[in-house]
Amino acid sequence: MDRRELMVASMAVALAGTAATAAPASAKDYGLKKGPADLKSVGPIAFGPAGILFVADPVGAKIYALDVGAGAAAPAKAVDIDKLDTRLAAFLGGKREDIFVKAMAVQPLTHTVYLSVMRGSGSAGVPALVKVDAKGDLSLVSLKSIAHASADVVKAPAADDKRTAPVVALDSRLGKQMKLPNGPAINLDMRPLRTVTVTGLAYVDGTLLVAGASNEEFSSAFRRIAFPFTGKDELNSLKIFHVSHGKYETAAPITTFIPYGAEGMVLAAYTCTPLVQFSLNGAAADSQVNGKSVADLGAVSTPLDMVSFKQGGQDWFMVSNTRHPLMKIARSDIDKQDALTHQGDLVGATRHELPQKGVTWMSNMGDGHILMVQQDDTNALSLRSYAVESL
Amino acid sequence: MPSRASDGGSGAVSLSWVRRRGRDGLLIEGIATPGGKPPTGVAVYPAALVADALAMPDLQPLGGRFAVDGEGVRFTPTLPFVDGLEYAVVERGGGGARAHRIVRPGRAAGAETVAASLHPTATTVPLNLLKLYARFSGPMAEGHAARAVEVVREDTGQRLEDVFYQGRSELWDAGRERLTLLLDPGRIKRGLGPHEAMGYPLVEGTWIRVTITEGFRDADGAPLARGISRRYWVGPALRRAVDPDLWRIAWPAALSTEPLAVRFDRPMDHALLHSALAVTDAEGGPVAGRIEVGPEEASWRFHPDRPWRPGRHALKVEPHLEDLAGNSLVRVFDRDLDRAEDAPRRTGGAVYEAVLEPKVVTA
Repeated sequence: MDRRELMVASMAVALAGTAATAAPASAKDYGLKKGPADLKSVGPIAFGPAGILFVADPVGAKIYALDVGAGAAAPAKAVDIDKLDTRLAAFLGGKREDIFVKAMAVQPLTHTVYLSVMRGSGSAGVPALVKVDAKGDLSLVSLKSIAHASADVVKAPAADDKRTAPVVALDSRLGKQMKLPNGPAINLDMRPLRTVTVTGLAYVDGTLLVAGASNEEFSSAFRRIAFPFTGKDELNSLKIFHVSHGKYETAAPITTFIPYGAEGMVLAAYTCTPLVQFSLNGAAADSQVNGKSVADLGAVSTPLDMVSFKQGGQDWFMVSNTRHPLMKIARSDIDKQDALTHQGDLVGATRHELPQKGVTWMSNMGDGHILMVQQDDTNALSLRSYAVESL
Repeated sequence: MPSRASDGGSGAVSLSWVRRRGRDGLLIEGIATPGGKPPTGVAVYPAALVADALAMPDLQPLGGRFAVDGEGVRFTPTLPFVDGLEYAVVERGGGGARAHRIVRPGRAAGAETVAASLHPTATTVPLNLLKLYARFSGPMAEGHAARAVEVVREDTGQRLEDVFYQGRSELWDAGRERLTLLLDPGRIKRGLGPHEAMGYPLVEGTWIRVTITEGFRDADGAPLARGISRRYWVGPALRRAVDPDLWRIAWPAALSTEPLAVRFDRPMDHALLHSALAVTDAEGGPVAGRIEVGPEEASWRFHPDRPWRPGRHALKVEPHLEDLAGNSLVRVFDRDLDRAEDAPRRTGGAVYEAVLEPKVVTA
């Protein structure tokens, strides 16, 4: 059998028992409290309900929910800004080469663009959330006094970090035996927590999806964190069965993913370049989810970001890549694609290459445009809007 | 000690660093404050961007606030100033633009940070080597690894390309002092597209030299004072799960402070050797002590802080401990499917126990 298995860890969370009641309408209903938000870094960002921006802080190993304001609805407008890196360097105060754009998100109602940016790195790194309005004016989201909440991402430990996470051991030689009330005895193994880099964030109906990679073991992590943050996080393992063109088992980190559709579907991209479709619906703690490899995007490249849009009555996914061209793939081609079980390069669902060069981060700007951060040959960045009909 | 600077031939404008109510500011003296208000047409930029500011009228300056401060005007930035960076106050008026410059004091501009170590230290690495770790003497800046790590094949002098996995972010530890360099798994795993197209990242039966060049930048943006370089002989691929039953474990005598010594059957992953092996006492609690990784990551010693207590002790091996090729106790990184014994397992740590007794010296 030409099959590989992919292990993915996940944090399943007891959902708050409010599912039956009406959804909260404003940020304060989500348990956000005003005060200084002490972000150590910024990484991937994603919008949630009621003007809440989720921000991954990989160094602080937290996910923040920030109330950046629901704002008044405004029509989506094409945004085009050249020399974005120079503008950010001038505005944030730094050298161009010390400006790192980490992610982009567009507020779905106001269509304001948000960029997560690091100025410098290491201990001198300063995180910034930069708002870009329709005219291209930059402003900073003040973190000094902002309604916010945060959830810990299981993190990694420095050498002297004594924190551990309990894992139910199947091997009775490991861990400590505990007797469950009215139940069997289990062995709980206290494992050290390990460094996690957050590579992707998405919010779907009360759940924050978080993809990450560990910096020691070669493994991947996928968590589901209930929102509002309950503080009761359960660590469990979510296994997906990964079918791809190769013959060998892997545990490659998810580099980017996008949830879609009503069935808890996720399309995830990996470093070994497969695109994998899986459903989180009914995925209980410790359960196994079967993934389906639907495409291989080509050798020696890493998928960076994904968006979806409608064009010509069809749903499309678009993937930016480190080396390969920007590509779009019809959702129907992914849905009808049989699981790839044979080795091959550039196989699977039909992909269409697009001419936009150096695309890194992408966001939907209303239904009509896709906003892209593009890098030219001199590493200069620009922000460009493309009408979906042109893609 | 405030530092001052001015240029542009005005002679009248001077800049200095000040601190007010716990916040750093840039004091600009010698410019007019019409009506007791900060003047318009004055903006602060990183000095390196002055030419851009003059060429791009809409280039937004450094975010912050101006306020009248005594005889001058004080600029307080929203984000803190960058140590060691040169700033410019640009005055735009009818007569054109003038720039006044000042360097923010900070750490000396000279490079101080060095590449401190490069692991593995084993001389022979498997063809399917998965990871290298570079450790630096201080926090580093991200974004330079792709250009600042060189792998050269010594017999031909040829630089090996596309050796490392380039993900969305570099793999630094929390303190940004240790970088994990992951060799491209797509090229290591047989059957994957990158492997089929380009083969292994390394070449078996050759010497290679891996160099962490001075091209890295530390967190202050300074290049390294010293890189590091290491030679490796590339041996055959290693595709067997880690099996602690093949190790030699030498238990110490009770009441001594001799180390518990473990000799591996192959070199192990340097980083994981600090977290994946643990020593517990009779109650199952951790024994306090210090871990020492031996030469070439082929051995491991645990030095107790206090003499060993007589009685039962255990050496616990976590299932995720990996060798140089990413094989762990529960997984062969690039396994042959016809070897059923290499199928991945969910658990599979190992525990070795011994009852420590005092050394009896017979007369």
